[in-house]
Amino acid sequence: MELRVEGINKAFINNGKNKEVLKDISFEIEKGQFISLLGPSGCGKTTLLTIIAGFQKADSGLILVGENKVTKAGPDRGFVFQNYALFPWMTVKDNILFPMKQIKMGKAERQKRLEHLLTIAQLNGQEHLYPHQISGGMKQRTALVRALATTPDVLLMDEPLGALDHQMRQSLQSELEDIWLEDRTTVVMVTHDVDEAVYLSDRVIVMSRNKGKIVADMPIELGRPRNRKSKEYEEYKNKLENYLEQASLVTEE
Amino acid sequence: MENKASLYNGKLKYGEMKKRDIKEKIYRMLVFVGMMGLWHYLSIKLASPLLLPTPKDTITALIKSATDVDILVNLFITMKRVMKGFLVSLCVGIPLGYIMGLSELIEKMLSGIIDSVRQVPIMAWVPLTIIWLGIGDGPTIFMIAFSAIFPVILNTIQGVRSISKDYYNAARSMGAGPFSIFVHIIIPGSLPDVLTGARIAVGTGWMSVI
Repeated sequence: MELRVEGINKAFINNGKNKEVLKDISFEIEKGQFISLLGPSGCGKTTLLTIIAGFQKADSGLILVGENKVTKAGPDRGFVFQNYALFPWMTVKDNILFPMKQIKMGKAERQKRLEHLLTIAQLNGQEHLYPHQISGGMKQRTALVRALATTPDVLLMDEPLGALDHQMRQSLQSELEDIWLEDRTTVVMVTHDVDEAVYLSDRVIVMSRNKGKIVADMPIELGRPRNRKSKEYEEYKNKLENYLEQASLVTEE
Repeated sequence: MENKASLYNGKLKYGEMKKRDIKEKIYRMLVFVGMMGLWHYLSIKLASPLLLPTPKDTITALIKSATDVDILVNLFITMKRVMKGFLVSLCVGIPLGYIMGLSELIEKMLSGIIDSVRQVPIMAWVPLTIIWLGIGDGPTIFMIAFSAIFPVILNTIQGVRSISKDYYNAARSMGAGPFSIFVHIIIPGSLPDVLTGARIAVGTGWMSVI
């Protein structure tokens, strides 16, 4: 088991009221799987992802990566931010090199890894540009390979394509898939887009607005690359749409 | 996220930029000429060189004193004092700004003192500083540094605070420790505001020369 989420509870205090966001969330992920956490806004999926990343702490519960308990953020879990969070004062190259320098990777190895990453992200020749000089798609690819630079055990992505339009999303989804297929890192991706979840995931976990309760946990058994127009693809989408509708209903106690 | 205005400017054609530049310059000239005209008209009307000399007399006097060696030497001395005071304000203000920007506790502890000391009129310090530092460069440099330090501190705090939380999280998830985060995230991320503070500090420092 690569990643174990066990009995995670998290509450926020809002206007003096204690609001439970996640209640007793548990699941396990096998190595090399691409998982989507699908849910309506406000279902706590991003909160859960940041808890796995170690950016914030759960009130109770346990996150295990391999054998190791997560206590804080670390390079064993790569993170792709919704707005990419590329450092604007560093070039594409320096952004990608940054995590490798942090874990004290040797210079020769670093260089080799950089070249490999630039190639799979199709960023060759663009490495000296700054983030504000490149397109949204290139930023996304830079952020992705930067998160993969330290060969993390798990890659966490928070709506990595959320800021883009439909057309761009679809083409970047297949690019993301290509990059992922290179070394099949275990992935947990947060999304609210059913199509994106079906296209990319081996398994989709649907979380509801009701304290993040998991309403569905569905494997997607389709060959890659997936045909968006096939009947099976449509069926998966329809099923997940139904679950998502169910997940959007808020039940007040 | 992106600076839309600068993106838009980037797309303006070179010719258009040039045209706008020239237009701006012409407008500036017009304002200058207009001011001079008004000044000239008023001084003629008032007809008292003591109360309001004509622009022509003023400019002649300016040129005369600007070429006077004594004045140039004194100007140089003043500049040296401003530079010294400015450097002191940077050396004290930037570290203080970083500490206050990073630690909310220290900020709360110090902001009360800083805000009240800041309100003391600069002239009120003159007798005290003369007693403390004697007659000479000391009081002047102190006062320049004193008035320059606040924009440095406040802008540095602002610079540290303006760094997105995502950058810290990103750096941590890539294995960066506190030192590395300071060097690679906090310093470059706050630099624009620190420089703004320094720029304002030169101005206020210069103004408080007595």
